[in-house]
Amino acid sequence: MTAAISMSMPMSVSTARGRVLCVDDEPNILRALSWLLQKEFEVVTSCSGREALEIVRKDNFDVVISDQRMPEMSGVDFLREVRAIAPRAMRILLTGYSDMQAVLRSVNESEIFRYINKPWNINELPKVVAQAAEIARTQSAPVPETAVEELPLPAREDAKILVIDDDPQMHAAVEMNAGDLATVVHVTNVVDAVHALQNQPVGVIVSETRLGSVDLTRLICLMKQRHPQIVTVVLAEETGTDLVSKLINQGQIYRFVPKPVKSGYMRMILRSALAKSAQLSDAPDLNGRHQVEALPEEECNILVQDLNAAVQSSVAAKTAPADEHSGLLGGFFKRLFGGAR
Amino acid sequence: MHFHLVRYFSAASLGMFLLVAAALTYFEFQQGDFFRTTQTKQADFFKDVQESFARRQEEAARRDLLTIHESGNVNLTRLFANALWERDFVPFVEKAQAISVEPCHAIADVKDEKSGKMSAPAGKKACFAEVGRKIMALPGFKELDAKVVDSMKKSSVFKIKVFDLRGVTIYSSEHKQVGEDKLSNAGWRQARDGKPASELTHRDKFSAFEGVVENRDLISSYLPVLQPGSDKIVGVFEVYSDVTPFLAQIKETSTQLKKTADGNQASVTQAAADAQAEAEASSTKTLAAVMVLLGILFAALFAIVRRADGIIRAQEKEREESMQQMAQAEKMASLGQMVAGVAHQLNTPLAFSHSNVSLAINALQEFEAPLSVAGRIADLVRANPGADTVPLKLNSSRAAIEKIRVDGKAAKEIAEMLGDVIQGVDQMSELVENLKDFTRLDRAKLSDVDLNATLHTVVYIARSSIPVRIAINEAFDKALPPIECNPSQLNQVFLNLITNASQAIEGDGEVQVRTRANGRHVYVDVIDNGSGIPADVLPNIFETYYTTKPKGVGTGLGLPIARDIVRAHGGDLQVSTEVGKGTTFTVQLPLSVPVASRTA
Repeated sequence: MTAAISMSMPMSVSTARGRVLCVDDEPNILRALSWLLQKEFEVVTSCSGREALEIVRKDNFDVVISDQRMPEMSGVDFLREVRAIAPRAMRILLTGYSDMQAVLRSVNESEIFRYINKPWNINELPKVVAQAAEIARTQSAPVPETAVEELPLPAREDAKILVIDDDPQMHAAVEMNAGDLATVVHVTNVVDAVHALQNQPVGVIVSETRLGSVDLTRLICLMKQRHPQIVTVVLAEETGTDLVSKLINQGQIYRFVPKPVKSGYMRMILRSALAKSAQLSDAPDLNGRHQVEALPEEECNILVQDLNAAVQSSVAAKTAPADEHSGLLGGFFKRLFGGAR
Repeated sequence: MHFHLVRYFSAASLGMFLLVAAALTYFEFQQGDFFRTTQTKQADFFKDVQESFARRQEEAARRDLLTIHESGNVNLTRLFANALWERDFVPFVEKAQAISVEPCHAIADVKDEKSGKMSAPAGKKACFAEVGRKIMALPGFKELDAKVVDSMKKSSVFKIKVFDLRGVTIYSSEHKQVGEDKLSNAGWRQARDGKPASELTHRDKFSAFEGVVENRDLISSYLPVLQPGSDKIVGVFEVYSDVTPFLAQIKETSTQLKKTADGNQASVTQAAADAQAEAEASSTKTLAAVMVLLGILFAALFAIVRRADGIIRAQEKEREESMQQMAQAEKMASLGQMVAGVAHQLNTPLAFSHSNVSLAINALQEFEAPLSVAGRIADLVRANPGADTVPLKLNSSRAAIEKIRVDGKAAKEIAEMLGDVIQGVDQMSELVENLKDFTRLDRAKLSDVDLNATLHTVVYIARSSIPVRIAINEAFDKALPPIECNPSQLNQVFLNLITNASQAIEGDGEVQVRTRANGRHVYVDVIDNGSGIPADVLPNIFETYYTTKPKGVGTGLGLPIARDIVRAHGGDLQVSTEVGKGTTFTVQLPLSVPVASRTA
């Protein structure tokens, strides 16, 4: 009822829950977004990336929503510029179709908050925008992201990288590229990974998306949900827009790189991940900017099943006392779900 | 072009084998002929040798016979001379010398008309016959004759003649020959000069001492008579001795020899014929063996070639099948790309239409209370006709009515939202229309098509899947004649060319689709201002499976298939490119599909 009333009321900054900039080359989309969001937010629209950049430079926005496929300047390029110009603004990519390259760049360069497919859900989209606006208004803004590379690195003994991969070459590569910057812990199965996460404070996780039959993305998402200060780098054999968009929305991963990864690039990524990790632990209020979409209940259940199966096979293989593992798992679950239940 | 390996191989090798067989047969016959000729020559030579040998043998036998008889006659003459000459002949010869023969000699010889020899005329012969009669009339002739006949009886001597040195026959056991002249006789002359002369003659009739004998071989010898005790020739004897039995023996021997020779000849001929037959049989065997071996060789080669042909065919079929599969995959890939583009294109109107309709439904729910209030007021107005005011009892509904804050703008906004939805639906139906045009599933395989229209559709579809930074412009010849073609296939070609062109452009760029025509062909140019095709890539672009795109993105079949389709229409696909400036692909199509291509 209040929404209906506000519809007829003149827009004002004081009543709006945030300032939103929408960019799309299709005017119909902009009109639809305006109608959808104008009840709660002050909405500004632009049909080109270049024009929108000018608007961002002049004005202050809480949320920037952009289409990907636009002439002259793509959404990813536009949002990357926004990240540099206005790091305070939360970036959302709203797209009907994106090639793999664009999705990867949306993670690695634009560091978007959400990746949303068209057509959008009229109930969900305003909630996401509201969440983003809330974060932008209440959480402090990071230093301009271009400076991340110059951020001070944590002391080597404080920094810990956990590598979850069954390919020994990846371990060797991480050790070689970041061994001098941090302690590198290697695990090749999900049980050991849980063990490592439980026992030691981990700054950066370097992970595959899959270990044998176990899907690691749920673990990655749940870890980020519970421990937002963990910085996740995914180095993966398999890619896919759905996979990456899920890792963005539910896991807020820091980087996603398809294998094979070039050595120099890996060092650059690991160094910036360590710097980001140090930044997040120094200023915990920045964590809010990386809030994730909660992992759905059924996904959590599948993760628990996977972990149980992995423990069973691990027990069978090592003939280690089952108690120790169930104890370990119990502790881990407590750590993972403790806050939620 | 079809190559019938087995058929060509069979024809060629069979022909070759037949040639070889013919050549072999020819050479074998040649050799047989040579062999036969040699054999014949050898047989002839052998025959000649044998015959010459037999002839010489007979000649030698005859010569020996003559020599033996001559020396026998010489001895006989000596004996005769010793026995008769001194006592009986000398006085008689002396008497005969008295008879003059000069007149007879004076008669000249005449040349015989027929033989051309000089011979005595009849007068001369008569003259000498007269001389003979005179001699026979001489006393002592009869005694002398008796003595000679007596001494010669029972000998092989058939006749004796005695001549004086004038050549006159003083005596002859055949009396009528007495007086004959021998002066010009070669045998006589030789004997007069001291050398005996003999000759072997055959006489059918001969008067011998004991009467006339028939069919006899005789040796006649002219022998000089020497004066006993000196070398002085005093006369000439002529002795006829019978050698018929000896000669018969010689002839018999000769016949025997000839028979033997003939036998030899026959056996040699037989042996030659046998050898020939054997050689021919052996060559026939050789020929047969070679033929059989050639046959086996042919059979073996045929089997190998047939097997190879089978394998090649199987591989060809496999290749074709895999090619078809790849072509299908290519089609599916480009279809997938198109579907993705179309899905995106569809997504935009879908997104705002869905959003707007949902918002409109929500907004309409807000209208429920104001509308029911308005309805109640309207009821009141109708219940009080003619009244300026109506009583409105608020009661409990005051709170609800106070909440109502609505003006006409709200309804207008809903109308705008739904107007946008109509636009969205129009966009979607335009897309569906273009998709239908693009695939042309409802059209016959070949039809008269306005290429400008189909190209417009292709460009529309292509726009949905290529990056928006690349502009696609149409430069159509308005007067382009319709052409006969399979539009569904050609659309695939044009979409492929436009997609390729857009992939050649990095960053912003333009793809121009141009149509033009001359009298017989229409041309579709797809021009990009992209990177161009490097010289080392250009020759391979129509090669099957050749691609410069990453694995999984390009199959290397797009251009080969495009060219196949264009060629099936009787047209051609050409390319011109400049590195750094761009590439133009030109599709040339005839106004109607040639008959030869219609079946494809």
